[in-house]
Amino acid sequence: MARIIVVTSGKGGVGKTTTSASFASGLALRGHKTVVIDFDVGLRNLDLIMGCERRVVYDLINVVNQEASLNQALIKDKHCDNLFVLPASQTRDKDALTEDGVERVLKDLADMGFDYIVCDSPAGIEKGALMALHFADEALIVTNPEVSSVRDSDRILGILASKSRRAVNGAEPVKEHLLITRYAPGRVDKGEMLSVDDVKEILRVPLLGVVPESQTVLQASNAGTPAIHMNGSDVSEAYKDVVARFLGEDRPMRFLDAPKVGLLKRLFGG
Amino acid sequence: MSPTATAFDIKSASLDLLALLLKTADADTLNAALEARFAVTESPEPFVLDLEALPEPEALDLGRLLPMFARRGVRVVALRHPDEAFAALARRYGLAFAPASSARLAEPAAPAAVEPPRAPEPPVANTLIVDKPVRAGQQIYARGGDLVVLSMVSAGAELIADGSIHVYSHLRGRALAGARGNTAARIFTLAMEAELLSIAGVYRTIEQALPASIAGRPTQVYLENERLVMSALGD
Repeated sequence: MARIIVVTSGKGGVGKTTTSASFASGLALRGHKTVVIDFDVGLRNLDLIMGCERRVVYDLINVVNQEASLNQALIKDKHCDNLFVLPASQTRDKDALTEDGVERVLKDLADMGFDYIVCDSPAGIEKGALMALHFADEALIVTNPEVSSVRDSDRILGILASKSRRAVNGAEPVKEHLLITRYAPGRVDKGEMLSVDDVKEILRVPLLGVVPESQTVLQASNAGTPAIHMNGSDVSEAYKDVVARFLGEDRPMRFLDAPKVGLLKRLFGG
Repeated sequence: MSPTATAFDIKSASLDLLALLLKTADADTLNAALEARFAVTESPEPFVLDLEALPEPEALDLGRLLPMFARRGVRVVALRHPDEAFAALARRYGLAFAPASSARLAEPAAPAAVEPPRAPEPPVANTLIVDKPVRAGQQIYARGGDLVVLSMVSAGAELIADGSIHVYSHLRGRALAGARGNTAARIFTLAMEAELLSIAGVYRTIEQALPASIAGRPTQVYLENERLVMSALGD
């Protein structure tokens, strides 16, 4: 049975699409047949991050409107054989998403034998975000260690608990995971950023992982390669940990402390 | 807690009384009858004076009868008559009034044997209990009763109750008790970190840091002389 996972945050620019791309790639690297869907209709970005923007012919809205089949719209990832991308439409807006249409697309994907369906939610709490989270079984709440991001995540958690299909039907609630991204331990030590413990204390959601702030993410985006493929980087390691923990492995949290600065580096600058 | 709040409790109670069914309003006849029945003055017993069987209850001179009864150890505490108009009479003599018909008492317990005695319907408590976190942007209203939240209330969430509000976790959002003007409503929380508190329309935003005895600690909020008072709970 396919698991539907929404990557959401409320606030924009916190790393939802980066996380969707790396998380879906990580699941595929671990051998699970995975599809990642861009729900940001009108502002599609996932195809850029995944480096498949020039191969987009049909999109989610075409499939929702039955103008194209899933097989025509799904784009095979260039890194992983068992990962597919379902891009958003650039020319439409979110009103083109209908609940019935999205439900049918998700069901058809499940029938195609996908293990995981990752839904990359747009920012905000409007229709696109609601459609992305409505059918979710699990949710990755992407949060930056900063008060407005945490507040918006809290809002999205409330919507998950009241408007998701599981909530509406009174089924087992959506399983929530907290993912803190753009974490800079040095700035936490200086009191410029909320700490992991602060965020956990406010949101009270099990922590799935912490992804450090890194230049690697920008380089990866520009290269059209999900950051998890930037082997050797801390971001790649962090996302691999996240996927492993999601799949039930026990991995200690990393990248929580500022790197020690050596005496010479402190004297002469880094 | 203030000493006035612990001075008394109100509980339901029932009292077994003897009923004196008057057949005549004539004081002299009654006096003679009392003399015959209550020859010896015993310690006074509470009675309810039942006027239903009386042909002319208006003619009753309670001012004369009550001391007469008292002398015989009949301590009248209430009047009973189906007509509510007699409530005024009872009030004039400082008596309780019971409109219930005496027929109910006179009937044998036969129907009860056929029908097994049923527990009385419990009174409906309009308490709304929430066991999930109340997140930013969510609003919960307990209409006509109390609101009990067993999980945390985030900043940006709003709790409203016509009665009191109890939060058995962190209260970081807004809490508005007594929304329809109940000034006796209170707010209780195990960790006071609220943004706004209101009771019966008297509100306070909390911008400054709270005193250490209250901030993040078990606290109650109540109205005193139309001012919101926050006090630490427990010791």
